[in-house]
Amino acid sequence: MTRYAMLIDLNTCVGCNACMAACAIENQTPVWKNVWRTYVHDQEIGIGDDVRRRFFPRLCNHCENPPCLTVCPTGATYQRADGLVLIDDNLCMGCGACEMACPYRARYELTYTDIREGKVFYGNLRRTSPGYDKCNFCAQRIDAGRKPACVETCVGEARLFGDLDDPQDYVAKMAASGIAQPLMPQLGTRPHVYYINEMKRDV
Amino acid sequence: MEVNVTYETQHLWTTWFAVYLYLGGLGAATMTITFLTDMYLKSHKTLAIWGALTGLIMVGGGSALLFIHLANHAAVVHVLNPLAIFFKPDAWIAWGTQFISWMMIASLLYVLPYMIESPIIANLPFISSVLKTRVVCGLGSMAGSGNIHKILGIFSATSGLGVAVYTGLLLQSFPAVALWNNPGVPILFTVSAFSTACALLILVMHIFMGRDEKDTLLRGLYERADLLLLATELLVVFLFYMYLTRGSISARVSAELLFHDLGWLLGFIGLGLVTPFLLELRSVLSLGHGQGQTHLPTVAAAVFVLIGGFLLRDYFMAAGIYVYPT
Ligand code: SF4
Ligand code: SF4
Repeated sequence: MTRYAMLIDLNTCVGCNACMAACAIENQTPVWKNVWRTYVHDQEIGIGDDVRRRFFPRLCNHCENPPCLTVCPTGATYQRADGLVLIDDNLCMGCGACEMACPYRARYELTYTDIREGKVFYGNLRRTSPGYDKCNFCAQRIDAGRKPACVETCVGEARLFGDLDDPQDYVAKMAASGIAQPLMPQLGTRPHVYYINEMKRDV
Repeated sequence: MEVNVTYETQHLWTTWFAVYLYLGGLGAATMTITFLTDMYLKSHKTLAIWGALTGLIMVGGGSALLFIHLANHAAVVHVLNPLAIFFKPDAWIAWGTQFISWMMIASLLYVLPYMIESPIIANLPFISSVLKTRVVCGLGSMAGSGNIHKILGIFSATSGLGVAVYTGLLLQSFPAVALWNNPGVPILFTVSAFSTACALLILVMHIFMGRDEKDTLLRGLYERADLLLLATELLVVFLFYMYLTRGSISARVSAELLFHDLGWLLGFIGLGLVTPFLLELRSVLSLGHGQGQTHLPTVAAAVFVLIGGFLLRDYFMAAGIYVYPT
C-alpha cells in the first residue's frame, strides 16, 4: 500500500513563496481574493532583541482520520486508498460543514462570482461549479508519476514528498523517528503533513 | 510539533445559522409535543393543526435559510436523496435533512384529515379549495384511517425528536472547538428545543385558543414540563461552566467569552432561564391559574424562554473557539 505524506523542514524554508505561486497556477486557486491552497506564514518569534523570522508553510494535512470527511453530507469529500483526501466538485453543495470541521483552516469557499472571475483570470478554468476547495496534494500530477507542484518548485528543498508505508522512504523515516511531527496530533486527526521544527540557534 | 497558536472564532456559520438551529429545534419539538398530546394525552385537533403548521413554517423557514447560504444550490439534490443516510451515515446533515423532509411530509398528512374537517381552515380562501380536491380528500381519508394515522403521528414525533437532537449533534461533530465537541451540546440543544416548544404552545394556547377552560389541565402540564426542562437546562449550563473553565485552551477562551458577557449572563441565563423558571415555579406552586388571576406572568415566562432559546444558539455559534497553529 501507499500512504502519501509531505515533510516540511522549517529550517530550510526561505519564505520565497514560490510554492504558493506554483500551486496557484497548477490548481487555479482564487488568488485575486488572496486565498491559497498553500500559504507560507511569515512570523516573528521571540521578544525584545531576541527576535527571529520564521516561515511556516501550511496546507491541507490529508488527515488519516479527517473530520472534514465525516461531516460531509453529500459524499463530496472522500479519501483515496493512498491517503489523499479529495473533493468531488460535482457533489459538493458548499454547505461549509467541512470548513467548520477542519481544525487546520485548510478549506475555502468558491462562490459563483469566483467561478466567473476565475474564467477571466485563468482563461480556461477547469472548475465549473462553486463549492469548497483545498489542497489535493496535486493528485493529477501524482497520478501522472510526478510530485506536487509545491514540492517540485521548492528552492530550499523544504518540502519533500514520500510514502509512509515505504520503510526506505526518507519522509517515512523522519516521521517514524519522531524528528518530524504533525500539527496538533492530540486532536486525533493523524495528519499526513509532518514538520521538522527549527533547530535552536543563537541569533 | 510545538508551535504558537492563535484563538479565533469563526465567521462562516454566524447568526443566520443560529436562526436555522433555533427554528429547526423549536419547530420540530413543537410538532412532536402536539402530536404526542393528540395521540396519548388528549385528542386535540386544533392544537395538532397549530403544532403542525407552526412546525412546518419554522422548519421550512430554517431549511430555506440554510439553502440560501449554500455555495452550490443545484448540488443540494445529493443530500435530499434518501439514500444519502446509507452512503454517508456518519454525516449528521444527511440525517438532519432526511428527518426534516420526512417529518414535514408525515406531519402534513397527519393533520390533513383534521384540516379538512376544521371550519376555520375550510373558510380560508385558497386552502379551502385545495382541501376540497379529490386527491387531497382521498389522501386525507387514507391518512386518517386508524393505524395509518397513528403510524404517521409516531413517525412525525420521532423525526421531530431526531431533528431536535440533530441540531446539537451537528455542532458536536467539529473536533477543534471544545465548546461544541462534547456530549453536552446535543443534550442542551434538545432540552432547549423542547423547553421553547412548551413555551410556544403555552403562548399559542393563551393567545389564540382563548384560554379554553377545557385546556387548563394541558396548559398546566406544559408549564410543569417546561419548569422541569428549564431546571435541567440550568443544570447543564452549570456543568458547561465547570467543564469549560477547567478544560483545554479552546474551552477556557469560550468560557471567558460567554461568562464575561452580559448578554449571556443576563440575557440567556437571567432572562431566558432563571426568570421564567421562577415565574413558572410561582405559578405551579401557588396554582396561580385561579379565577381572576392574571395570566401575564405565564405569558411573560413563555416569551422569555423563547428569547433565551435563540440567545443560547447565537452565543454558542459566536463563542466557539478554534485554536490554530501559527
Ligand atoms: S487538514 Fe482539514 S481539510 Fe485537510 S484532511 Fe485534515 S481536516 Fe480535512
Ligand atoms: S461544503 Fe462540500 S465538501 Fe464540504 S461538507 Fe459541504 S458538501 Fe461536503
